[in-house]
Amino acid sequence: MNIPGWFLDPAHWTGADSIPVQVGYHLLYSGIALLIALAIAVPLGVYIGYTGRGELLVAGAANALRALPTFGLLVLVVMLVAPHIGSRLAFVGPTIVVLVLLAVPPILSGTVAGIQGADPGAVGAARATGYTRPQILWHVQVPCALPLFLSGVRNATLQIVSTATVAAYVSLNGLGRYIIDGRASSDYTQMAAGAILVAIVALVLELGFLGLGRVIVSPGLTRAAAPTFRRNRTARPGPASAVGPVSPATPVSPSSPREATS
Amino acid sequence: MITFEHVSKVYPDGTHAVHDLTFDAPSGRLTVLVGPSGCGKTTSMRMINRLIDPTEGVVSLDGEDTRSVDAIDLRRKIGYVIQSAGLFPHRTVVDNVAALPRLLGAGKKEARADALALLEKVGLDERYALRYPYQLSGGQQQRVGVARALATDPPFLLMDEPFSAVDPVVRTQLQDSFLQLQRDIGKTIVMVTHDIDEALKLGDRVAVFREGGTLAQVATPAELLAHPADPFVADFVGASRGYRALGFVEATATVRLAEEVTVRVGARPADVGGADPSTGSGQRDGWSVVVDDDGAPLGWVDLKATGEVVEERHIDFSGTVARADGSLRDLLDAALSSPTGRGLVAGPDGRLRGSVVADEVLRHLGRGREAEVAS
Repeated sequence: MNIPGWFLDPAHWTGADSIPVQVGYHLLYSGIALLIALAIAVPLGVYIGYTGRGELLVAGAANALRALPTFGLLVLVVMLVAPHIGSRLAFVGPTIVVLVLLAVPPILSGTVAGIQGADPGAVGAARATGYTRPQILWHVQVPCALPLFLSGVRNATLQIVSTATVAAYVSLNGLGRYIIDGRASSDYTQMAAGAILVAIVALVLELGFLGLGRVIVSPGLTRAAAPTFRRNRTARPGPASAVGPVSPATPVSPSSPREATS
Repeated sequence: MITFEHVSKVYPDGTHAVHDLTFDAPSGRLTVLVGPSGCGKTTSMRMINRLIDPTEGVVSLDGEDTRSVDAIDLRRKIGYVIQSAGLFPHRTVVDNVAALPRLLGAGKKEARADALALLEKVGLDERYALRYPYQLSGGQQQRVGVARALATDPPFLLMDEPFSAVDPVVRTQLQDSFLQLQRDIGKTIVMVTHDIDEALKLGDRVAVFREGGTLAQVATPAELLAHPADPFVADFVGASRGYRALGFVEATATVRLAEEVTVRVGARPADVGGADPSTGSGQRDGWSVVVDDDGAPLGWVDLKATGEVVEERHIDFSGTVARADGSLRDLLDAALSSPTGRGLVAGPDGRLRGSVVADEVLRHLGRGREAEVAS
């Protein structure tokens, strides 16, 4: 089994079923499924988190959908749909449906948990100082929900990407092709290469989400100091070190040293 | 002025949280609601900004029935400080303070500039402005909480056990700096606490609640200590009432201070002059007051017990220092805690003014009582 050789073979990098093309298909199916799942789960999650209505639905649906056998479901949907649709859509549609069903629960529960888990003190203070309910939602609960929401989306994405390989079973493109075709021709090198490619795509997306998290989630929530803080931290250890665009020569705080160090 | 008229709150299960409450919180003053837990003090406060609606009666702000105003508009006129600060964890300190002004349409720049000014006012250095709440200590968070409540400059302020989540030393600092702030801003404040000492220290008026949501007494702290309305209040106000009441009697110029011989660290006992028999003042027993370069007292030193030179390790720091314009309680405490029985008294500038003995404080108190009876 010569896996590096397989990757170095120029024939695998050009043409209609080359690595870039299959990665592209894989990402296309995954992307479409993720967008649809977001479109369903986010409004629903915000509504449930906001009103507190339908929490049982979330828990129930999440567990039920997790228990669904992906592969069986795909075959079932294809069999139900294929006779009525002539084109390739007969296979694309069911694949997307299955991937969406897989992705909705983690996004939904992440969103609901995030919104409901927003610091009750902060929510209470906002309410007491005259924030309207929608203002509490958008200015406090949603920003505070981002870390959990994002981890839900990350979860969903990884599931989609790894499961999108089943598309190849119903004759679609994507990285599953290498696995299915390799199995059919007993080409284990190709199968392994396909699996590695899926893993790489998943890893790259994971890194992408980490980066996205850095950008959209407030450092106050992740408790990871913003870059400016960190630089100062290493320069002068201890929580009392100066922070922000203030020169180190700032006068001593009028609050006591005890407060500053506690 | 915040007025309660026959206000009651009954929950559907029949619990009387508050029963027929009538009192007012005067403008520009700090009114403290105090009582054991479950006495309805927090419920009463939350009825002011309609977080809870009364079942009966009227709560009005400057004569305006709160029910005639939209709850959101009402709350925007009333600052609110909660126990755990309740800062927005995703916003920096300065943006926490600027949040409500921004929501109400203020420009980012001016809102932040105002926020920085407010942070300075509550005693938080501007180097904390760009930190996130989790990077602050509890005391610092509470300062931010106060600044945030004042951001829109509301005429009223509600405070729900604002200083109870921090340790005693920080609590005292927060209380002192808040008292100073209130002298500046003069808001109409209603504060809830279960701590009678805090109530007596901070309140211009104290409303004592008892179980069942009824009012036991509303009075100034001094009145509360001197004339508790009934055994419940007397018991709640607690022990050592007499001593604590001295905290509300100001020392006047008629308290006689004795002069003390002062030395500095590094002085030689041999060079320090003895007592001056003509005035009866000065070094009577070998004890002198060590002062720093600004003349502020550090503590006592027994010149008979030092070696050639007075060193810092010779100083006895046990005595408290009272301020000449402080209360009789401060003066008495200084005298009682002093190793010489002579309490150190400093002027507003921190410089040593002289010393006072316990007898003199009690004589002064007696003269005050006589004057009170005579008038």
